[in-house]
Amino acid sequence: MKRFHLLPLVFWLGLGLFVLVHSYQLGLMAFNNPGPGLMPFILGLLLSLVSLYLILVSFLKKKQTDETVRGEPKKGLYGRIGVIVGALVAYAFLMEKLGFLIATTFLLIALFKGAGSKKWRAVVITSVLVSVITYFAFTHLRLRLPAGILKF
Amino acid sequence: MELISGVLFGFKVALQPWNLLYCFIGVCIGTLIGVLPGIGPVGAMSILLPMTFGLSPATAIIMLAGIFYGAMYGGSTTSIMVNIPGEPSSVITCLDGYQMARKGRLGPALGISALGSFIGGTFSLIGLIFLVFILAQVALKFGPPEYFSLICVSMTLLIYLAKGSASKALIMILIGLMLGSVGIDKITGIARFDFGSSYLLDGIDFIPLAMGLFGISEVLMNLEETEERTIFQSKLRNLLPNVEDWKKSIGPILRGTVIGFFSGVLPGGGPVTATFISYTIEKKISSNPGQFGQGAIEGVAGPETANNAATGGSFVPVLALGIPPNVIMAFLLGALILHGVTPGPLLVSQHPQVFWGIIASMYIGNCMLLLLNLPLIGFWVKLLKIPYRILMPMIVLFCIIGSYGINNSLVDILMMTLFGVAGYILRKLDYEPAPLIVAYILGPMLEKSFRQSLVIADGRLSIFVERPISAVTLAISALILISAGISYFRKSKLKSREGGERRPG
Repeated sequence: MKRFHLLPLVFWLGLGLFVLVHSYQLGLMAFNNPGPGLMPFILGLLLSLVSLYLILVSFLKKKQTDETVRGEPKKGLYGRIGVIVGALVAYAFLMEKLGFLIATTFLLIALFKGAGSKKWRAVVITSVLVSVITYFAFTHLRLRLPAGILKF
Repeated sequence: MELISGVLFGFKVALQPWNLLYCFIGVCIGTLIGVLPGIGPVGAMSILLPMTFGLSPATAIIMLAGIFYGAMYGGSTTSIMVNIPGEPSSVITCLDGYQMARKGRLGPALGISALGSFIGGTFSLIGLIFLVFILAQVALKFGPPEYFSLICVSMTLLIYLAKGSASKALIMILIGLMLGSVGIDKITGIARFDFGSSYLLDGIDFIPLAMGLFGISEVLMNLEETEERTIFQSKLRNLLPNVEDWKKSIGPILRGTVIGFFSGVLPGGGPVTATFISYTIEKKISSNPGQFGQGAIEGVAGPETANNAATGGSFVPVLALGIPPNVIMAFLLGALILHGVTPGPLLVSQHPQVFWGIIASMYIGNCMLLLLNLPLIGFWVKLLKIPYRILMPMIVLFCIIGSYGINNSLVDILMMTLFGVAGYILRKLDYEPAPLIVAYILGPMLEKSFRQSLVIADGRLSIFVERPISAVTLAISALILISAGISYFRKSKLKSREGGERRPG
């Protein structure tokens, strides 16, 4: 049997126990009928049992080799993922203040760089063009996108 | 007679200019994302779902379904020409399709895959109509206990047929069910797992969840793969297979249709499984199996037919019972519900324009795809040259606009990013997010039918085994679990024995 990474299993166990406790507090039964907590309680119980079982099994078979990880990550990969995720989070907080056009331009610059584009000038020009085009295309489709600082 | 008038009505719906246009857009997008390896049909459907809100339910589903079967056509093109499958369902086609192309038989390879797809797609639609009617008649007698058992059996099949480890699939299903239970309990009105947040009170939205788990996390996964694509340089001529090709292919195409259709109907099955089964069978019954992998046309015709036939088959459980057999159908079901249409046995009588419209549009869409893919194949191949570093920001941008567009809420973008990162980590650890989404969609149905059954039975669990249909269904799912357990036990025993033999040596 393939060995499992232990950390996610511990996480699942924790989640299962949390759901178990929380749903017990919600009430398993309501007036002789199944209450709001019953189903989550069963799910939490199952998740805890499965992860506990897998944890025990991986302790018993400790000698076997570890699970293969899909390929070694390339150099700088986590940095690029960080840039993309960071840009998305920043976008979520700033978009309504800055407006769709400005925020999207910055986001696209970050994404193009994160995806590995080299030329700065091309990246900036494409980003501006794409955000202008999408803004007008989608407001035309009656999707409300915040104008922010720039008012038209 | 009812069937014939239904089909005619369907064509009347599907041939309305508006529906025709969206069907065309759908199959174009489908072919496009089939050709582009960076994004799959699930990702594309989740991006486009919010943009269908302004459309009528029939039009929206016609377009989304077009993406699904369009991707099956497009995926085979890249497999044959570049040896890179555009979709998981065309992985098998690489084996013989690319070899055929190398041997100068590019035209027949592309031709037979498009024609086989068309035949498979057409026949599976006929099967779809008949099976939906039979199933819907039976399903009218189903009460909550039967639905509960049916959902249980489809979940056990999801675990049994999961790509990787069964226990990981089980964990994903449990997590999906939990995510589905966040928000106000519909029966008692009590808030569950809301942590005082008004956003979670409404439950976790389907679109940010799906876009995160499929759109964003696929983008992050793809950052690693920057392989150079060398496109096969060859003149495209003689797209039509000759008589000998047809003689060889007709058997695989017919078998592929049947295999594909039924593996589509089965929960946990779908196009990918269909191609694997079809290839294995063709290789087994072939008079010279040595030809397979060297460019046997049978190895292209069978699987390519099967994956298209599976698209028709997988509509059966959704339209007749409202239970999605795989993740793409879970999406379509989610889309139908968002549009206020509840699929199930009453769908045909309550929303005939949706039911018949989809079926007729799938036939029309298949015809369009045949035209799009045979004469215009050179155009799609050119698109393969778009580098991923340009494609990726566009995919992310569409995800953002899509998830923002539902509620005009930035929290949705944040949730999508969160699920994107979660999906990336899960994929890295070999947890497939597909069962999670299916379980998330099925969760509320499962809970509702479970609680309703207990109310009917005054809290006795025995109701699930007292009703015959429910008892049989539950017995089937128990059998599946037991057989999975036995084969797992055997395998681990075999492995430990092998390990034991190896150690002394």
